[in-house]
Amino acid sequence: MARSASPPVEPDRPGRRKAGAGPSASERSEDQTEELGARSVELSQFYAGKIETVPKVPVRSLNDFALWYTPGVAAVSRAIQADPDRAFELTGRWNTIAIVTDGSRVLGLGEIGPEAALPVMEGKALLFKILGGVDAVPVPIRARSPDEFIATVEAMAPAFGGINLEDIASPKCFGILEKLAKRLPIPVWHDDQLGTAAATVAGLLNALELTHRSIRDVRTVLLGAGAANLVTARLLLELGHPPHALTLVDQKGVLHADRDDLDELELRNPWKYRIALTTNGGGRTGNLAAAHAGADVLLAASTPNPDTVRPEHIRAMAKDPIVFALANPVPEIWPEVATAAGAAVVATGRSDFPNQVNNSLIFPAVFRGVLDARARSIPDEVVLAAAKELARGAAMKGLSKHHLLPTMEEPEVFPQIAAAVGDTAVRLGIARRKLTHDEFLERAHALMGRPAQLVRALARARLTPPMPRAASRRRRKAP
Amino acid sequence: MSGDGGAGSRASGPKDATSVPIHLRPARDQDLAALLPLLLRLKRLNEEFDPLLRVREDAEQQARQILKADITNPKAVVLAAEGVGADRDKVVGFVRAHVRERAFYAPEFEGVILDIYLLPLYRRRGVGEFVLEEVSKALKAKGAAIVTAEFPAQNEIASRFYSKRGFRPIIAVQARSL
Repeated sequence: MARSASPPVEPDRPGRRKAGAGPSASERSEDQTEELGARSVELSQFYAGKIETVPKVPVRSLNDFALWYTPGVAAVSRAIQADPDRAFELTGRWNTIAIVTDGSRVLGLGEIGPEAALPVMEGKALLFKILGGVDAVPVPIRARSPDEFIATVEAMAPAFGGINLEDIASPKCFGILEKLAKRLPIPVWHDDQLGTAAATVAGLLNALELTHRSIRDVRTVLLGAGAANLVTARLLLELGHPPHALTLVDQKGVLHADRDDLDELELRNPWKYRIALTTNGGGRTGNLAAAHAGADVLLAASTPNPDTVRPEHIRAMAKDPIVFALANPVPEIWPEVATAAGAAVVATGRSDFPNQVNNSLIFPAVFRGVLDARARSIPDEVVLAAAKELARGAAMKGLSKHHLLPTMEEPEVFPQIAAAVGDTAVRLGIARRKLTHDEFLERAHALMGRPAQLVRALARARLTPPMPRAASRRRRKAP
Repeated sequence: MSGDGGAGSRASGPKDATSVPIHLRPARDQDLAALLPLLLRLKRLNEEFDPLLRVREDAEQQARQILKADITNPKAVVLAAEGVGADRDKVVGFVRAHVRERAFYAPEFEGVILDIYLLPLYRRRGVGEFVLEEVSKALKAKGAAIVTAEFPAQNEIASRFYSKRGFRPIIAVQARSL
């Protein structure tokens, strides 16, 4: 985090909280982060990695290897040689994905290189397994250029049923995803683009519902033009949001077609360039304040700093505005400040406030769905189907300004999303296997439920040793 | 050396004057104020391609003098593109070219496109192609029998734009610092 940040005492004067109010949310979270970091190093040392390969077939004696390996396996190879798609039936390919990164933008740490990215990719693999029942293999790649990275991923694709791109810097992540999606016969996903955008869209759909608005009739400001917001903008347009009512704002102000950095953008970031031309600033130019006037929706995915969006920005918006402040770990405006300034609904990226916009609500279920359909790709229709199903999941339990999205404690929605994804893949003709909705659902239930059983069984058998006690309890920093 | 910046067009065939959203006419002295920023945008874009194309501090003065001279120079063509609709009377792009004598080669006169620039909203709609055809006609009227285009070697958008329209590299210019 760039600077320590605490909620403003009063709208115009950001500063420390009143004495006696205790540490602010951000101070709390800094201390916590430090403590968690120390513990994470300790545990990583103890367990030496987070995942391992475990056999899924009986091995009664070494004689069984005549079946699992040579000579028996040769017939399996011949069958796949005759029909390469049979790899999805005769091997684990159907459920195995690679988590690939070049280590160019890992968490908030920046370009830390492929080795240092490995623990993060292991963590993601663990999430994939626990939440989605997906076998994910962490593969950080040392690549000197996007083309070399793409060629490497392309070369290893035969082993995998899907590719999850992780922690790749923007804007190169766009070109990498676009090219790989075009070249590979399996789904390719980049969470920072698609996962975040889908979760955002899901939350927004419910927020619109809650405030009686239609996406065809709102004015939206997207603050931040990074991976997530550029895709969010694309998805909103696909959902029928009028382009002339969509205003993207970056560090240089409103993104519009007459801005003098457009030529450079066409060259360096054609994705952002296209959005600039399509939306043309929503007819606006200038700064954040100009963009906000009369807007119904603010979707901020920019830099962690609670003063990025000011209360006066919110006050300048239409009545009952929708405010998503998604920067992590510190939102662009604290929820209580946004609410005090008139926001009708507020969402953040954090789990300690209501309405967390969280990738984890999307990616495990999306992969469960596309893997079960043995899909060839993940078009935007699939992403939108997942977003809509996530939104529906929250609505089923009753929408309120504090319940826009399901939380991670409402896992019953995940198989539903997987089934919606599978259905959409079948409908679009990109599914190698066409199951019915109920079949997708049943399968997702079974496969997403299995890892929890596994974890429990391994713990019971002491094959996974219990967590050791923390070696050193970190003291809270002196004030 | 000058060059073309992003005048890329995806149009499949040549466009006629009625189907493109611009109106092309010879530039006048009164256009200078509108043309200057466009020319500078183009040069700043070129800067992106190579450190040896760094734009000079006095580029604006240079641009003003050169444009002013070329508008009346009988061996030069400067066309201003005006928008239509709300952009009517607004200069949204331009092209500048020279007729050069070739000392050793035939045909003897070459029309050299030095700058083409269109504002982003006027790209990819056949406008670049229309401008190319119009400037070619104007150069031909001044005696040129071939048309060439100069742009930064690394500008792939320009490179594709011209090669799609029958251009091929005939002279290479390479550089190193001294």
